[in-house]
Amino acid sequence: MKNLDSVFWAYMLGWAIFFGFYLSIAKRSNDLRAEVERLKKSALGNSRGK
Amino acid sequence: MGLLSNAAALLGKEVRTEFRSRELLSTTIVFVLIVVVLFSFTFDPTTNESHRFGPGLLWLAFLFAASLMLQPCFLREQANDTLSALRLAVSDPFAIFLAKIAANTLFLFMTELLMLPVFAAFFNVSFRGQLPGILLTFFLGSLGISVAGTALAAISAQARMRELLLPLLLLPLLAPILVASTEVTVSLMAPEPFMQWKGIGFLAVFDVVFLTALWLFGEYLLEE
Amino acid sequence: MAKRVLLGAAAVLLAIAAAYAAFFVAPEERTMGVLQRIFYFHVSCAWAGLTAFSVGFLGNLLYVWKRGEKYDWLGVSCAEVGVVFTTVVLISGPIWAKPAWGIYWTWDARLTSTFILWLLYISYLLLRTLIEEPDRRALLSALFGIFAFIDVPIVFGAIRWWRTQHPAPVIMGGPNSGLAPGMRGTFFFAVFAMHILMWFLIVERYSLEKMRNDVELLRQEAEAT
Repeated sequence: MKNLDSVFWAYMLGWAIFFGFYLSIAKRSNDLRAEVERLKKSALGNSRGK
Repeated sequence: MGLLSNAAALLGKEVRTEFRSRELLSTTIVFVLIVVVLFSFTFDPTTNESHRFGPGLLWLAFLFAASLMLQPCFLREQANDTLSALRLAVSDPFAIFLAKIAANTLFLFMTELLMLPVFAAFFNVSFRGQLPGILLTFFLGSLGISVAGTALAAISAQARMRELLLPLLLLPLLAPILVASTEVTVSLMAPEPFMQWKGIGFLAVFDVVFLTALWLFGEYLLEE
Repeated sequence: MAKRVLLGAAAVLLAIAAAYAAFFVAPEERTMGVLQRIFYFHVSCAWAGLTAFSVGFLGNLLYVWKRGEKYDWLGVSCAEVGVVFTTVVLISGPIWAKPAWGIYWTWDARLTSTFILWLLYISYLLLRTLIEEPDRRALLSALFGIFAFIDVPIVFGAIRWWRTQHPAPVIMGGPNSGLAPGMRGTFFFAVFAMHILMWFLIVERYSLEKMRNDVELLRQEAEAT
């Protein structure tokens, strides 16, 4: 079918962009969660040290 | 009226400051000249085709010049914190904006008027009989550029990379001004000149909308 | 948390359903054939992008009025999601145009205005990176967001007028090309699906922003002890 690949590319690229955006949010969220764990551990460490 | 008399007094200050040194006007005019000359190297400015491209390039030059000229608007108030003094001096912060907008419109308009004969000579166009239309277009365009530019200058003055930030924020916002002013100017320079009232309408709408927005939100732009 | 997972699942399922409808339920268009099916994706993304920016505008107004940090989080989330949807519009447009007109970009009124829209909100996001102090950043970006949004109708109007002065190929049919009745259902379903996706992405981005804020508070607390 003529032009089917154009339609295919349009949908695929679009979905790739949405998925990429969601992945970037997920990654940033995980990094933040790791940071929270690190902060909690160091806070516990401090309070134990006192 | 408190607002208008405050604004008038501040406008006097802005104009007096500028005319003492004339540094803003002179640098702006020279900049527009340079841009127009450089643009002319990119095509032949004397053929009839240039009647189509010339006005657009002229307005682009005005836009670039304005985005540079508007930088000192609030930056010069930061040096000695004169902005706090201004805020205390007036009851309505909108007076400060009105004064700066009026001053910037005046400086831009003067630059454009001075460039008009130069442009006519370089691009071999004549405005015979179309002067009122040209003046109206230049005025409404300059007003729009000043209103948006002054508001955004207040924002960029409080951020980093402000020299690049102001054009970055301003130029997309001013797309309607560029489009409308160019179309009207092209029609006024055509072999059979005529007035595009719809374009004038867009310029007027832009000016009114942004003046109103600044009236509503200006005080927050100047918050400590 | 469960609600977010549910919303995400709904968004994905609806998107798949909308794509299915676009290819198998909607009738084939007479002149453009299968190429026209990009329309359901392209236009529904455009509408969702504009909705995102509109909600962001409300967030900006609310921030300036009430100064609640959650309105700032809403503003940036809507702006980013809006930019994402607008990017998809700007990519799918040329993909349609090349087979249809032989050229990628025709300075079509709607696509050109969409490009300006995209630039305005990219500037909004850039502005935010250039102001460090959170309250100042929230206020100034909210104000710029307001100016940008009120400019949007003027941009669209002016460029459409400009294009009537200089006619050129129009992407996806002129303003008066209506939808055949068989296509309307698919189209509005696609619009609905894209809006659910938009809603999901805004919620996710908002949660990230809220988490960032919480972590910053924790960090300050840790430094204080």
